[in-house]
Amino acid sequence: MSRLEVNNLLEVNNLRVDLPVEAGTLHAVRGIDFHVERGEMLCLVGESGCGKSMTSLALMGLLPRKARLTADRLRFDGIDLTTLPERRRSDLRGARMSMIFQEPMTALNPAYTLGNQLCEGLIRHRGVSRQEARERAIYLLERVGISAAKDRLNQYPHQLSGGLRQRVMIAMALMCEPDLIIADEPTTALDVTIQAQILRLLRELQQEFGTAVIFITHDLGVVARIADRVAVMYAGEVIESAPTPALYANPAHPYTRGLLSCIPAPGKTPPGSRLQAIPGVVPSLVGHVEGCAFRNRCPQAQPTCERTPPLMSLSGDHRARCHYADRPVPAPRPPETIS
Amino acid sequence: MTTSSVSPTASSASTPGTGLGEISLQPPAWSRVTRRLFGHRGLAIGLIVVGLAILIAIFAPLLAPHDPYHQDIANRMVPPVWHDEGSWEHVLGTDKLGRDTLSRLLFGTRISLTIGLVVALISGVIGTTLGVLAGYFGGRVDAVISYVITTRLAMPVVLVALALASLTGGSLTTVILLLGLLLWDRFAVVSRSVTQQVRDAEYVFAARTLGCSLPYILLREVLPNIAGSLIVVMTLEMAHAILLEATLSFLGMGVQPPLPSWGLMVAEGKAYMFFQPWVIAIPGIALFVLVLAINLLGDGLRDLNAPGGRN
Amino acid sequence: MGTFIVRRILVAMSVALTISIVSFMLLHLSGDLATSIAGPEATAEQVEQIRVDYGLDRPIVSQYLDWLGDALTFDFGRSYYYQSTVVDLIVDRMPVTLTLGGLALALAVGISIPLGVLAALKRDTWIDRLALLFAVVGQAMPSFWFGLTLIVVFAVTLQWLPAAGSDGWQHFVLPAIALGYYATPAMMRLTRTGMLEVLESDYIRTARAKGLRTGSVIFKHALRNAIIPVVALAAVELGFMLGGSVVIESVFSLNGLGQLAWDAISRNDYPVVQAVVLIIALFYIVLTLLADVANAALDPRIRTR
Repeated sequence: MSRLEVNNLLEVNNLRVDLPVEAGTLHAVRGIDFHVERGEMLCLVGESGCGKSMTSLALMGLLPRKARLTADRLRFDGIDLTTLPERRRSDLRGARMSMIFQEPMTALNPAYTLGNQLCEGLIRHRGVSRQEARERAIYLLERVGISAAKDRLNQYPHQLSGGLRQRVMIAMALMCEPDLIIADEPTTALDVTIQAQILRLLRELQQEFGTAVIFITHDLGVVARIADRVAVMYAGEVIESAPTPALYANPAHPYTRGLLSCIPAPGKTPPGSRLQAIPGVVPSLVGHVEGCAFRNRCPQAQPTCERTPPLMSLSGDHRARCHYADRPVPAPRPPETIS
Repeated sequence: MTTSSVSPTASSASTPGTGLGEISLQPPAWSRVTRRLFGHRGLAIGLIVVGLAILIAIFAPLLAPHDPYHQDIANRMVPPVWHDEGSWEHVLGTDKLGRDTLSRLLFGTRISLTIGLVVALISGVIGTTLGVLAGYFGGRVDAVISYVITTRLAMPVVLVALALASLTGGSLTTVILLLGLLLWDRFAVVSRSVTQQVRDAEYVFAARTLGCSLPYILLREVLPNIAGSLIVVMTLEMAHAILLEATLSFLGMGVQPPLPSWGLMVAEGKAYMFFQPWVIAIPGIALFVLVLAINLLGDGLRDLNAPGGRN
Repeated sequence: MGTFIVRRILVAMSVALTISIVSFMLLHLSGDLATSIAGPEATAEQVEQIRVDYGLDRPIVSQYLDWLGDALTFDFGRSYYYQSTVVDLIVDRMPVTLTLGGLALALAVGISIPLGVLAALKRDTWIDRLALLFAVVGQAMPSFWFGLTLIVVFAVTLQWLPAAGSDGWQHFVLPAIALGYYATPAMMRLTRTGMLEVLESDYIRTARAKGLRTGSVIFKHALRNAIIPVVALAAVELGFMLGGSVVIESVFSLNGLGQLAWDAISRNDYPVVQAVVLIIALFYIVLTLLADVANAALDPRIRTR
């Protein structure tokens, strides 16, 4: 194993998730590759339905019963997740990799106190005493910015606002000192001002504890602020991945470029001008899917795009799934003249 | 450059959730409905059996081999045909007075179904009226009617029915009236809650804004929307009424002999149940089958009615 | 929470009062009591005499008020038939009915909750379908017939259990089954529906994401929430069972309140009937009150309002 690979906490190669639905098989995730290094913040960006949530559930082992997962490689800290029995999987979950969900209002059990829910994971995984668990819970609650932490332990979820509950979720994710946290759109359901606070908090904690984070979002603004690396997903595939500066400076995939051009920039975009949008609709992922999934909306689609584009490597860590990622698009052929 | 305040979602007019664009996942509507109707075996069975029962009740005189009231002491307590001493003359045997069990069973369908239907209707009218009024008007009206419902729920129905039946004398009419006046609670509760939901709906508001009169609103807007739930309650209360009548008749305070109420048949056979169990088994099974069918029908209707489908 | 309970108690008491009025009026107005007491053989003078003796000639309102005044001091009068006060009769029979009801509920709960949980976990498998079938079948059987069948099968044919009387615990097994089975389908379905719903909720996903063991997820997290309406239903079902015990007690010859009421009805012993109806209604009212309290106790969201 090369030195680079040893550093990787999470390695994903050719991950596929299929879901049987009424009309056939939905290919929610269609062979994605990515990796997460220790201590880094990777953002997984994409619109609703692109497969990012499915990916996170696949990593945690929380897919619905009917879903089928395959991967050439799915390794967490050297452990092969595809062959791991469920019993051992649940040992990992919550302890070495934990997850934060999108909707804080319903993520906590209304029947038990916060203290109970914070401590139960630590007690189960590390066998500590209730007292020790409570101490760690208080420490983390304070660390995420919740005042009167000791009293909070005896409160119930319905007594807290959404922003506070999400902080509790963050604390809960950190209880067992995990190596990886997967945050699935943790700020989408919160007010904009709270969003900013939570983002800042996550970045601080990540750097302080050295935890790797996969941050899933649809918001490119968030990505620019906190991500070390970005992976852009579309229609079940990772169509571009790069370190953050490189992605924003030099977007290689037409979809990425389209997304970035949709964002009105204060100062640059003339007031009153039309907001850009990418025309067209995401194609259906049910049944057989072939070729580049973006070609029906791509401004530079060519006949070549009927073939599935390979993952092209640009400079350094920058990859894009497009035939024309690193070369210019051929000029359009002149129309046939009638003689 | 801060992009946070104007960061739009990275969306581009897509169908959320499944990444599906143009292709619809659902098979055509008509096939869905028929599949649910007949794929739902309970509903189908319930419909068929209840339909059969209705036919039997109507054509009982033609179907019954004997007169259900004709006593033949010489042939009393004849076992059913599958016994050694049974015969095809009396397929299901005879009771203690020599009356043919099969004929009594067939005629008994009339009693059970009549009671079930009429009681459900009476209690349905009472309960629905109360419930709709309470649900629509709210406030004081609701408070009073809810109090009445609570009081009625707290009363032990069986005891009260027994007491009143004994005072007024048991008979088919008495039973029907009593049960009709006692079993309206579920109608009231359900129609009240559904009316409350409907009342707050926009089309009712629109009707009121247009100046529609109250009876018009109630009839044209509210009733059609609660009809689905009411039909379900009706089947359940039918079954409830049939079981209660059987219980009352069993205890002697319901339908009086010589009418062939199934509950009464069980009571009459009780003394012989140890050695000739079929005398109580047969009417009991008849009750069980009929009530089961009605319940299956009701459950099936409820599943069809509910938007989410099967529970 | 305190005002909530006080208000509920006040409502409960007024409901009890209303019931006593309603049952009193119904009993006295739906037939001529004096004639019923006197019996079919009596002469007109005997009927009149009875009317005066029992105070049935006074206006009905004053009859009721007299009864109410006594009732508030737990004096429900004397039985027309037994040489005893009504209160003594009731106190004597109550343990049997309460035991029967309690046992029936315990059986019903003991079967319906595990079955409901199992059906929810194994949704759409044969276990689930069997449980639903069991529920549908249970609701269709008349209790008196089920009781008789149980006697024929278990007491006579198999001779495992006694058929009548109330001396030992064995005498309560079959009656408890006959009384309790009717409540089982509703509770099982409610448990199943509740579990199915709760298992889809976000906090269960959180619990699994924390790596908690399956048993903990199902029982500590899911069932705890799903069971709340079932507890309330169980209390109400007990109320119904106490009210409906007359049939079972008659079939199994148990000397409980139901049998007392039944005998009293047959013998036109109206003070007893009036009192038993009220007592059973009171049980139901108290049980529904307990159901509300249980709801509040189990769901913190209601508590701190």
